[in-house]
Amino acid sequence: MVSSDSILQVANVIKNYSVRKGEPIKAVDNISFEVKKGEILGLLGPNGAGKTTTVKIICSLIRPDSGTILVDGIDNFQHRSKALGKISAVLEGNRNIYWRLTVRENLEFFAALKGYNPKELKKEIDYYIDFFDLKDKEHETANKISRGMKQKLAIAVAMVTNSEIVLLDEPTLGLDVKASYEIRDLLKKIAYEEGRTVILTTHDMNVVQDICERVVIIDKGRIIAEDRIENLMRLFQVKSYKFILKDRLTDEQQNQLLAIPHLTLLETEDATEIELNLENSQTFYQVIDILRIEEDTVIESIDRQEINFEKIFMDILGRSDEDAKDLAVG
Amino acid sequence: MQKIWLLGKAFLKREFILFKRYFFNSLGGIITLYVIFLMLFLGFKGVGGPNVGESIEGLVVGYTLWMFALSAYQDITLTIQREAREGTLEQLYMSVYNFGWVMAAKTFAQSLINLIIVVGMLFLLMFTTGTFLNLDVVSLVPLVFFTLPNFFGLGFIFGGIALIFKQINNYLQIMQFVLILFVSVPVGSVPIFKFMPGSWGSSLIYRVMLAGESIFQFAASDLVFLCGIGLAYLLLGIAVYKICERIAIDRGLLGQY
Ligand SMILES: Nc1ncnc2c1ncn2[C@@H]1O[C@H](COP(=O)(O)OP(=O)(O)OP(=O)(O)O)[C@@H](O)[C@H]1O
Ligand SMILES: [Mg+2]
Repeated sequence: MVSSDSILQVANVIKNYSVRKGEPIKAVDNISFEVKKGEILGLLGPNGAGKTTTVKIICSLIRPDSGTILVDGIDNFQHRSKALGKISAVLEGNRNIYWRLTVRENLEFFAALKGYNPKELKKEIDYYIDFFDLKDKEHETANKISRGMKQKLAIAVAMVTNSEIVLLDEPTLGLDVKASYEIRDLLKKIAYEEGRTVILTTHDMNVVQDICERVVIIDKGRIIAEDRIENLMRLFQVKSYKFILKDRLTDEQQNQLLAIPHLTLLETEDATEIELNLENSQTFYQVIDILRIEEDTVIESIDRQEINFEKIFMDILGRSDEDAKDLAVG
Repeated sequence: MQKIWLLGKAFLKREFILFKRYFFNSLGGIITLYVIFLMLFLGFKGVGGPNVGESIEGLVVGYTLWMFALSAYQDITLTIQREAREGTLEQLYMSVYNFGWVMAAKTFAQSLINLIIVVGMLFLLMFTTGTFLNLDVVSLVPLVFFTLPNFFGLGFIFGGIALIFKQINNYLQIMQFVLILFVSVPVGSVPIFKFMPGSWGSSLIYRVMLAGESIFQFAASDLVFLCGIGLAYLLLGIAVYKICERIAIDRGLLGQY
């Protein structure tokens, strides 16, 4: 299973948080995945899915109950410092930087914390100050710069020490559109030009669609999908259709249609909309057959749906919920 | 080792920058401490009596010791508490250095600044009260050096507890007063007081500053005990902190969950 070009291996990680009252929370429930060098990986999932916990376990900040993390082949709890030399992170909801230090002082301080002599890193520090467009603010204390700039500074701090893996937990949260776009561009540059590995969590599917090459989707601590973005897009895109009908359907037709999985029916006064996510092309013809039972049913249009990643994401989550229900029933 | 020095330098730089940048904020705290002292001083003078001169000298030394103890212990506890709350502690934990070294560097830098402030205060108090104490540097430097670890130990104990139980500020306030006790109990009359954190070291410092003794007049066993008790409290503090840290990493408490 161990492929030589993967820089991060997460294997069978389990984390339960014990709480004062009641059952422990299964935050991470046996997760395994690998990340290749130079890849931008999106770690997605609804609130409470276990993304932040997973990120912090990778950063050696939370000890898993079981399972291992290998950073470039190094176990991150057995050889903590060595592994941490290869990782940097911008964590969710944290300041990550010192608000009372200036932009440059922050970069210098954290460089030292990662084992570098700030003087020897001057070129890199200058580079990132330029790169993140912080030149004007270089001598401002961080509490005086805007939220977007603070976030950029936090990312710059994570970048400046050349760590091979950069983890970003919700890097665009609360940023305006412009700042969000800037950060996306920067991340692409970092991965493509510098060959660094970026792992990010976000709820913004536009960000995912725009920059991630591959996604791992988790829900309730388990991986429910893991694939390259374009595969997920292809899988869903060509097979989603919207039928618009002129009239209402008969009860007979409705009942038959509703028996088809992944089909939603929307009836208004004088029209019907059917949305269909196809499992296989068989169902497409099945729908047509049902519609043809009545001669009067006029199909006004059949559209292949424009699907964005957000919709795919929702579908994947929806399916995993259904699976869970099926399991509970069966 | 050279690398550890880089870490020390980074913290020194940071602490001095902050000290300079927020000097006027710190000044507020310093003035408050001075005003409290003035009130104590005037109170003492008001009471009067034949030994008032001596007791004012005692007050100056005691107050200075208390400020020193307070800053040593508080810096550690408050640093850990504050950085955990603001979310920079997790970054410190992601350093390539062991967190012990990070804290050592930070404490070293902060203690230097505290030393400057406290020595400045000492002179201010001496001028205010018109008392001039025996400032035998050769004796005092090693005594202070070996007394400090007692308070660092306390800092780590409470820092560790603060990691796990976030709301301990009321107890930290009480500690301020308990520290007065620690630096002023008469270790001569009740032997067990010797074992309180910082009490023995404080008693030796009193002996130098008030009685004019020199470190060379102390019995070797007294000095050995000074080092021993300081080390013991420091190790105890680190041990308690390590246990708390382990719990915090298990429960995900290094940040503000
Ligand atoms: N330190 C902690 N102690 C106890 N429970 C925790 C702790 N941290 C997280 N949890 C719980 O574990 C589960 C997973 O949380 P986590 O923060 O990893 O989710 P997430 O995917 O990052 O969610 P979000 O999208 O809201 O950031 C949640 O139910 C959360 O309440
Ligand atoms: Mg999260």
